[in-house]
Amino acid sequence: MDEAKSEILQGTLDLMVLKTLHALGPLHGYGIARRIEQISGQVLLLNQGTIYASLVRLLQKGWISAAWGTSENNRKAKFYSITMRGQKQLREETENWERIAGVMARVLQL
Amino acid sequence: MWERLRTWGSRLWSWGRMRRLERDFAEELESHAAMLVEENIARGLSPEQARRQAFLQLGSMAQLREAYREQRGLPLLERVAQDLRYALRMFRKSPGFTVFAGAALALGIGATSAVFNIANAVLLRPLPYRDPSRLVMLWQDDTAYGFPRNNVSPWAFEQWRKRNQVFAGMAALTHDSFNLVGGGDPEYLHADTVTPNFFSVLGVGPALGRTFRADDGRPGAPLTTVLSYGLWVRRFGAQPQVMGQELLLNGAKYTVAGVMPRGFQFLDPEVDLWVPAQWTSAFIEDRKSDHFLTVVARLGPGITERRAGVAMALLGKQLATDDMSDLTAVVVPMREQVAGDMRPSLLVLLGAVALLLLIACANLANLLLARGSARHGEMAVRQALGASRRRVFEQMLVESLLLSCAGGAAGLGLAVWATSFLGQLIPPGVSNAGVPAVNAPLLAFAIVVSLATGVLFGILPAWRGSQIELVASLKQGGGRSGASAGGKRLRSVLVVSEVALAMVLLTGAALMIRSFEKLYRQDPGFRAQHVLTLQTRLQRPKYESMARRSEFYREVLQRVETLPGVVAAGYSTYLPLADAGGGSLVTVENRPTDPKHLLIANVRVVSPDYFRTVGMTLRRGRLLDKRDGPDSPQVAVINESMARTYWPGEDPVGRRFKRGFLQTKAPWYTVVGVVADMRQGGMEIPIRPEAYFTFEQADFFAPDALAVRTTGDPLAITEQVRRQIWAVDREEPVAAVMPLQEMVERSVAPARLQTGLLGGFAAMALLLAALGIYAVLSFTVAQRTQEIGVRLALGAQPAHVLGTVMAQGLKLYLLGVALGLAAALILSQLMAHLLFGVSAADPLSYASVILLMAAVTLLACYVPARRAVRFGPMAALRYE
Repeated sequence: MDEAKSEILQGTLDLMVLKTLHALGPLHGYGIARRIEQISGQVLLLNQGTIYASLVRLLQKGWISAAWGTSENNRKAKFYSITMRGQKQLREETENWERIAGVMARVLQL
Repeated sequence: MWERLRTWGSRLWSWGRMRRLERDFAEELESHAAMLVEENIARGLSPEQARRQAFLQLGSMAQLREAYREQRGLPLLERVAQDLRYALRMFRKSPGFTVFAGAALALGIGATSAVFNIANAVLLRPLPYRDPSRLVMLWQDDTAYGFPRNNVSPWAFEQWRKRNQVFAGMAALTHDSFNLVGGGDPEYLHADTVTPNFFSVLGVGPALGRTFRADDGRPGAPLTTVLSYGLWVRRFGAQPQVMGQELLLNGAKYTVAGVMPRGFQFLDPEVDLWVPAQWTSAFIEDRKSDHFLTVVARLGPGITERRAGVAMALLGKQLATDDMSDLTAVVVPMREQVAGDMRPSLLVLLGAVALLLLIACANLANLLLARGSARHGEMAVRQALGASRRRVFEQMLVESLLLSCAGGAAGLGLAVWATSFLGQLIPPGVSNAGVPAVNAPLLAFAIVVSLATGVLFGILPAWRGSQIELVASLKQGGGRSGASAGGKRLRSVLVVSEVALAMVLLTGAALMIRSFEKLYRQDPGFRAQHVLTLQTRLQRPKYESMARRSEFYREVLQRVETLPGVVAAGYSTYLPLADAGGGSLVTVENRPTDPKHLLIANVRVVSPDYFRTVGMTLRRGRLLDKRDGPDSPQVAVINESMARTYWPGEDPVGRRFKRGFLQTKAPWYTVVGVVADMRQGGMEIPIRPEAYFTFEQADFFAPDALAVRTTGDPLAITEQVRRQIWAVDREEPVAAVMPLQEMVERSVAPARLQTGLLGGFAAMALLLAALGIYAVLSFTVAQRTQEIGVRLALGAQPAHVLGTVMAQGLKLYLLGVALGLAAALILSQLMAHLLFGVSAADPLSYASVILLMAAVTLLACYVPARRAVRFGPMAALRYE
């Protein structure tokens, strides 16, 4: 049960990271975490470090890419950006998610 | 799917560069933290506070790194590495168990791999010809004559070659021999006379020069020869200049056309050179009933061996004439021809090693189960600390696999070592290159068997080990008392199957030993001790006339007989055990011939003293002697089989027979004596009717084997005999010098090796099964020490307690023997045709195996039972 729950959460987090990168363009871990915190508060991120497991997962699947760069404050940071395949995945996942959310909403309203 | 692959690829890649990646990640976290600090300072916190806050926001660095690692690398691999380290630690802690298990596995896997290596070479490895699966041998079906696979007559070969529509090529060969003179001692060479297409049918090209062209086979064409690699190296120092040179073979000049590659051979590894057959049509027409050709053919495209067989049977019917033997060709795949009689014995040996391996597995499973009960506490604690059942299962399986792989590695070494002497099991036709000790199939086999073994014996204990009732186990305080009734039953089942399997193996070995005993101890019809044998083959042109040959024999025999230490000397066409062939059609006077059952007898041309030399026994009449000269009445001596078969219930002495049909122009020979049967082709090959003629009266075969009976070591007079032969003819090579006893040993060598191997495997099986019973009983006794103590304290008789414990072991034995007996009775049928003079249900073999197992079992039961009683009530009660 525990594992299943965390898997949903992981999936959700991954999707949010993809969406963030899609919306804001190349971004470092701090920026992504900040953005997700702004939107969801502490619901998804226990702490900002959690974001990195998600980033590694997405990198391994080839949906995002990473490169060292310089931040707006002239600090060395690793920037992540969404790949073509990531875009495609995001589209599919979004549709999927909306469909499920719609169904769930209807079911739960019964 | 792709994502998963990519993920794993990435994990694997990262695992290799873990160090660098971790540094990279640490740097990334550092930069993230710095940004948080800046943010916090901007919010108005002191640098100190900002820093602390930042780390809280980011989370524990150690945890993050661990999580990152988990995702990045290969957790499974790391877990396995951990398990391996743990397993190694366990093995170090119990070296006795480890060494025993490793040795049992090494023996089991080693024996299996070694036998596999031989079987692979004989039964599976492709023969060294192009597309060898398309090669077949053709034999003439002369079942009516008693030769279901007869050599082919030139006439039949010619008919088949011209009229068949199923073969892409058909070649014939016949064995020949040449005396090579000039450039060193005269040498006796084995040769094959082959049709010019022989090499192209096999699809093997020369290493040097060329093979034969159709033109080489035209009668009257210049004589050419192709050398074997061995002869080229031995006689000509591997010099390419030998090409085009002329060799003097049997007094005729042959031009060397080519040299075959190293290791090339066809059926007979001893062939030194090949010469093309130059047969005229008259020659072929003349030889309708002379069967001396070996025929090999290549199947045409798309033709199966079965279809070729049907087509050749049909062709045989068309060609059939009333007086001729059957012209049907028997089609035999090359592989079957070459593997010959080894196939069943190899399969039996493979079966035996498989059984041995199974017993070793059962034994180890048993030991691991016992250890499992002892490690109950450990497993319970591990699970209580959060290890999942799967994790415990995995860890125990890794232990077994590590054990089996170590055993497999040692076994592979054993197999490589054993291949050198197991190579004797390879029939000569397979390859003279021998078996490479290490080859890819052997490695693959050893690896697969090791892994399979590890899983086989490991899975049960691992499963049981992981199914632990946590609370109950922990309450018991761990230790030795955790074994459940289920575990005990499982172990008993294992022991019973061990006993049953060992029983099967022992029975097989007992049958083979009894069979070998009969084979070796039989009366072969000759006395092999103190007899020297050698070969002289008289060159054709020089010794064309019978008078000239007879002169040679007389002179050589007279010179050799007078040597000191020589008892007798005799010439023969075939020595004992040398050949079962040399058969000839015979017609018995006053006996109607039945065309369905023509009479065949081995025809031997000998010198009169040959009988005394090899130690044959006269049963009736007289032997050949000096009276039987070229001009005296023509006489023959026959063996008992011939007397029995052709003159049933009569006295053959004084009766007459001739070679060939009644109308054949051949002289009648009068039987003057009957000798005891003598083994002709091998110790296990059935004896055929045989007739002996003196060389003074028979010109059809020229004797070439000389036997010399001596008073001392036969080899000691070799040089003197050779000198006497050279004194008669300096150009006569002396070959194949060997004591007759060695021929006997060689004849039984494969049977001896097989018997020895099977016996060895059975002994190991017996030992393992006994250890199995011993282990189970020891364990039970240890479990029941307290109970036994109480009983003894309450006044039970030690003898009674001893009996109770032993009865438990004997029950396992009886069950195992009953099952094993049933299996052995069925399985031994499979080896029935490997046995000589012993039935597959031989009661003596079975009885001795049952007794042997009973004795060993009693011992294996007695030792632990005795320990239980000796313990004494007080010690037993305190034991805990």
